[in-house]
Amino acid sequence: MTRYVMVIDQRRCIGCHSCTVACRTWNDLPIDIVYNPVVTEGVQGTWPNVHRSWTPLLCMHCEHPACVPCCPTGASQQDDDGTVWIDYKKCMACKVCVNACPYGMRDQSKFEPRLHQFIRKCTFCRDKRKLDPDAQPYCVQTCHQKARIFGDLDDPNSEVSKLIGSVHTERLFEDLGTGPQIYYIPELGGKA
Amino acid sequence: MRHHYWEWPIATYLFLGGMGGGIFCLAAIFTFFVSPSLAASEAVVPVVTALVQESFALPGFIAILALGIGCFLLVFELGQPFAFLRVFLKSTSIICWGARILSVCLIFGFIWFLSYIPWEWFAPIANFLAPARGVCLALAGIAGFCIMLYTGILLSSLKAHSFWATPALPVLFTVSALSTACAAIALTIGGWPSAYALDNLYAAIAVHEIIHTIDIILVVAELVVILVMVLSFLGAGNTTAQEVARRWVKGRTAPFFWIGMIGIGLVIPELLYVGMPHGIGSSVVAPILVLCGGLLLRFLVVYSDERREIPGENRYYTRVAKRDAKFLHTWKKGENIF
Repeated sequence: MTRYVMVIDQRRCIGCHSCTVACRTWNDLPIDIVYNPVVTEGVQGTWPNVHRSWTPLLCMHCEHPACVPCCPTGASQQDDDGTVWIDYKKCMACKVCVNACPYGMRDQSKFEPRLHQFIRKCTFCRDKRKLDPDAQPYCVQTCHQKARIFGDLDDPNSEVSKLIGSVHTERLFEDLGTGPQIYYIPELGGKA
Repeated sequence: MRHHYWEWPIATYLFLGGMGGGIFCLAAIFTFFVSPSLAASEAVVPVVTALVQESFALPGFIAILALGIGCFLLVFELGQPFAFLRVFLKSTSIICWGARILSVCLIFGFIWFLSYIPWEWFAPIANFLAPARGVCLALAGIAGFCIMLYTGILLSSLKAHSFWATPALPVLFTVSALSTACAAIALTIGGWPSAYALDNLYAAIAVHEIIHTIDIILVVAELVVILVMVLSFLGAGNTTAQEVARRWVKGRTAPFFWIGMIGIGLVIPELLYVGMPHGIGSSVVAPILVLCGGLLLRFLVVYSDERREIPGENRYYTRVAKRDAKFLHTWKKGENIF
């Protein structure tokens, strides 16, 4: 089985937002939609002991996604490889999935025509991977810091499974039981 | 968080749906369980079951209107309204079940109401439907009960929102739905198309008396549930729920909560119900205030959809550009130029 996950090495992330730009550009997103924001709390600490770290976000492609079973139309789906995606034709945009997602990673653009404002989210570049199974999502491909690593967790030789097995990783809001598939290597930014 | 995704149409729908479902539920309970005891009582004029059922015709019509407007608001709120028929497809979704029971309630409630229309030209249809009144009301009543429960369960199942994810919310919404249904019934019972006759009037008055007593109890119950819910969140909820509860109790929403919801929506109607049992205060003013309180409750709850913040998230979203879409669209000539 294939199980796609992403490891985000916060030691490497310098908050350049390249991933955000690449995603928005290649996926031609409306201006009010961001699939992968890079958030920061700003500079923390007291001088001279100050630090700053960035948290690149995206859909967590949860193992037990809250957004899939609640969808009444069957538009919100999960592939066998764990990718959570939306069939835009089936989506009636009732926004129950947007409200169900604890990470706020689904959104609806107000700049689309009034009758075609479906819900959007990151799909790990599913369309791109369909054409080329070895392709990497745009955000991963563009990250010059190699802070985003994408791969198959079930493949013991993949970089992601080696990293997850060897380095301390954390996941966001694990207590909610959704089993998020984005693993963070938490550390201060720009260190590695 | 970015903004509220569910806005006034959903809040209004939750109110109208709960009230409409509650009316059918109470109409069925009164017809099948309360009226036999009324008929057996030693009153001067015995109240017949059929008359009790007939007295609920106008409240039933109000319920159909409420559910119909609620459905319209639901579809109006959709981003792709033309896909709305797919709502019935997936059984794992609470919204799907909501749509199904809403449809059952609307269809059978409407058939039931049609059987009471007194217009002469309509008589053949009304007479044809009359034997099915009992079955239709039973089905509409069961579906109505489910609608009352579902409006609260829908919100409480969305665990991302700390203030919604509590078992107290379905209880609160159900009690409030029953209370608003009682108020709507009290305002409209015995009206057209119920026949203008003395027997009908007795039946309507008998039901009104019981509804009045029930609403006194329901308003107290609602007061207890809402205070328990909000104050327990304030004391023992997680950080997000605590923040919302604090906003309700002493923050920006406090005037709406204390003066609007608790004062005007619950305490004053309760005092009117108890203090002026047969005056205009308890028969007109109090029910209207209860209805306003019910609507305000749904608005307060729906707009309390705070999600646990990912550190730095709010800082980010307040800085995202929002108004350059037109320029970008023109610049790209509406195409993906990359």
